[in-house]
Amino acid sequence: MAISLLAENPAGWAQHSFDELLRLPREEREALQLAALKLRFARMREKVPALQTLAAKQGVESIEKISDVLPVCFDHRVLKNYPLSILENRDFKRLTSWLNKLTMHDLLKVDLEGLSTIDGWLDRLTDYGMLIGTSSGTTGKLSFVPRSRDELSSWRASYLAVNYASSGVDSEKVKLPMFSAVYRGGHQMMLKIQSLFAADMAGGEEHWHTLYSGTMPADLMALSGKLQAAEERGEIEQLGLDPALLEQRTLILEQGRRKEADMEAWFGKLVEEFRGHRVKIGAPFAELYRLAKAGTEKGLKPSFAEGSVLMGGGGMKGYKDAPDNWEEIITDFFGIPKISNMYGFSECIGHMPMCDHGFFHFFPYAIPLVLDADATELPREGVQTGRLAVVDLLAETYWGGFISGDEVTMHWDEQCPCGWGGPRIEKNVRRYSEAEGGDDKITCAGSAQAYNEFMDFVAGEA
Amino acid sequence: MNDTLNVPIISRGRVIMPSAGDSVVFKGRGGADFCSPDPHKHIHDLVLGDTAKLADLHQTSMANIIDFLVEFGKRLRLDDNPWLQQSFELALQAGGLAEPILRGVYDNLPHMFDPNMLTGLADKTIGLPYLDGWVPGEGKYANVRIRAIGTRQLHITAGNVPVVAGLTIIRAALTKSDVLIKAPSNDPLTSNALARTMIELDANHPVTKHLAVAYWKGGDETMDSQIIRTTRIDKITAWGGMSSVKHIQKFLSPGNDLTALNPKYSMSMIGRETFESEEAMDEAAIGLATISGFFNQTACANTRIVYVESATDEESLDKIVALGRKMVAAYAKLPAVLSTSAAAPNKELEAEMETASMEDDFFHVEGDTINGGFVLSKFPDRVDFYDKLDNRVVNFVPVASLQDVVKWCNDTTQTVGIYPETLRAQWLDTFALAGVQRLVPLRGGDPLQIYSDMHHMPPGVPHDGIEPMRRSVRWVIDMGPPQHAASLHMAA
Repeated sequence: MAISLLAENPAGWAQHSFDELLRLPREEREALQLAALKLRFARMREKVPALQTLAAKQGVESIEKISDVLPVCFDHRVLKNYPLSILENRDFKRLTSWLNKLTMHDLLKVDLEGLSTIDGWLDRLTDYGMLIGTSSGTTGKLSFVPRSRDELSSWRASYLAVNYASSGVDSEKVKLPMFSAVYRGGHQMMLKIQSLFAADMAGGEEHWHTLYSGTMPADLMALSGKLQAAEERGEIEQLGLDPALLEQRTLILEQGRRKEADMEAWFGKLVEEFRGHRVKIGAPFAELYRLAKAGTEKGLKPSFAEGSVLMGGGGMKGYKDAPDNWEEIITDFFGIPKISNMYGFSECIGHMPMCDHGFFHFFPYAIPLVLDADATELPREGVQTGRLAVVDLLAETYWGGFISGDEVTMHWDEQCPCGWGGPRIEKNVRRYSEAEGGDDKITCAGSAQAYNEFMDFVAGEA
Repeated sequence: MNDTLNVPIISRGRVIMPSAGDSVVFKGRGGADFCSPDPHKHIHDLVLGDTAKLADLHQTSMANIIDFLVEFGKRLRLDDNPWLQQSFELALQAGGLAEPILRGVYDNLPHMFDPNMLTGLADKTIGLPYLDGWVPGEGKYANVRIRAIGTRQLHITAGNVPVVAGLTIIRAALTKSDVLIKAPSNDPLTSNALARTMIELDANHPVTKHLAVAYWKGGDETMDSQIIRTTRIDKITAWGGMSSVKHIQKFLSPGNDLTALNPKYSMSMIGRETFESEEAMDEAAIGLATISGFFNQTACANTRIVYVESATDEESLDKIVALGRKMVAAYAKLPAVLSTSAAAPNKELEAEMETASMEDDFFHVEGDTINGGFVLSKFPDRVDFYDKLDNRVVNFVPVASLQDVVKWCNDTTQTVGIYPETLRAQWLDTFALAGVQRLVPLRGGDPLQIYSDMHHMPPGVPHDGIEPMRRSVRWVIDMGPPQHAASLHMAA
């Protein structure tokens, strides 16, 4: 190995250049990963109560080979394994003691006096040293990823590395004004990452331009279902929510309705202001496409300087009617020849950069496993399609083993023509539930999803 | 890969088999692919563009139609009907229901065609005189006559219980209507088997001449746009999950009347008196096992959540656990015609149960998705994955008062089991207002009796809170000149 990496301290790995990390020979890397995994599990097994419960139940005492970790990987549900009612009732004592089982930090010492909102609770945890990121899946229930300041340094290093690797711009040295088509803050994981690192990467708060200056309240995300139901019954006042929160809700709903117009106005202004400048633009693909389409129709022609960066992500969700050449339409419009891309999910600190040959490569501090429909590990060789599980070695204070909700196609050969090593996945990532879906079975037994789809249909929105 | 099965299109007395240049392979459930003629080429075989062609059925008397259905019913015996045997085999392969249960369901088919039941069904919901002729008003309104006229119907059927196919044919025939059945992918054969049996009985009977059956993929816009036109279809009845009918909305216009028998959810309520004696707990447990377990919890009437009047202290929760254990023990004793162990585990649900069992502050989990089990919420709320409860796994939810259950009731709440009976009078109207559609007893301690009591209904009772047959005819008014000049009380 050309660089010195310690099994005892995976956080230190993230301080090395991405280039070197992606060039580690497979055998050496896997030996190092296994050694680090053994140590990590041995330490966490006693210190993280949720892992202790799962390991005891599965009878896993120690890790001898990478596959041994699978039975003790958390199902993605574990991070939202609390009754919705305690969140809706803002029972922060119970919520805290639930979350306490997921981290080595002793959250029972956090002062919970006077809390009335979920954001307030998350802020209080931040003051204590936690950096909890939330995410909401298809059900809308919030997951809480129990990250903390202990992870911050390697988190930052890996985030800058993945940006550098996918875009070719090293934000440590080159500070580009950055446009993010999002809220400026919030505890939601993507917003949290941006609010932690974007201004730094752009060279200061004044160089980071967001669509909206406000934050996205966790309370609104957590209570959206309840708020909707209460609104329909005309009982929203009876929920006892902070009036400020309800005002914020009105504002955000309004913003949602005029988002396209806001985006175009915001972006139009930036196009003029930054003509001839080198910039970095980050947005979901669907938004990039929408901007390109609207801009082209209006005769808008950006002329950013060479070396500008377009960072996409999130698939084309919400824009299913886009033409096949949507990528070309985007690059033509922005005048930036490449769309940079990365893959990641909230539970895993390290994201994976996309190479010039369209593969997402794993850094050594994220150990992937691919599972079949029976949750058995598929061989770590050749090309395998299945559900992705990852052990995140950068998770220092909580257990980093998770089974994701994504179906991926993994290439284990480490022969990518791009020159990078590491296991790599194709860009056709999809939600595992979609893959399981299949054809149009009909039954009369109700499920929430079936019912919601039904209501959409009856309302003419399907 | 199984052999691909040939499934014909049934078109008004004709059987159209797939042939060279006219065949499409569809994916069925459980790997059972099937091959049909290309439905795109048979639009006109499926729909009735000319309403005048309904005249034959219109002129057939109800007595004749009922006689025909009764004869038809006699031929629906699994033992000697090869078409049904084929559909039975496929349904077994699809794996929705275990063999003894499925056999029971098929064995029940002939009983649906009992003459008294058929007559009652038509008479109670519509009125035989309205189907056979024009019914004059009373007294001075004798000039105003009303008749229930048959329509052209599209039924998008659910495939989780084959009874739906039989019921659809009955409802259409008893309303003197032309019917196109869109078969579900998880049961492409039952409607087909019934239709072919009917053709064998009499290919030229007006009822046979107004029955078409086909499968096309849900969301096939060409099919939906061709079929769902006011010139071709008057009434649509859509059962169950939405993926198949999602796209239909686009094509609905005033004139296409939609009856939505949408997905339903069912539950039970257990009063606190239950815990006063071991006998009462045993009786309630058998009732719960029956209502949750029959047809292996595949039906909309199966209980999935049990609300229990109880405190949430440890001692009270222990009692609910004891009730749950008795229920799971009772599953094991249910007759195989009602309920069996699952053939395979339900992985998604097991993962949910597994995760819940890790949080013993909030949940207590017992059992599995093979033999059934339960998740006890230790707080007054249902589990988040309540809509995934299946394989005879139920969620027990303690509530201080049954009044608290109202907030979980709505239009999707179909059947509610009650124990003990003393709750009924107290809560009936409350829950009727909250949206529930049927309250049933759980008492008795004998599973077959409980199941039978739950289904002991006269012909023509409402279905999911509505009367589908009444909605699927056209009510036409014939207003002749009054018998004597109406006196005009107008101020000069």
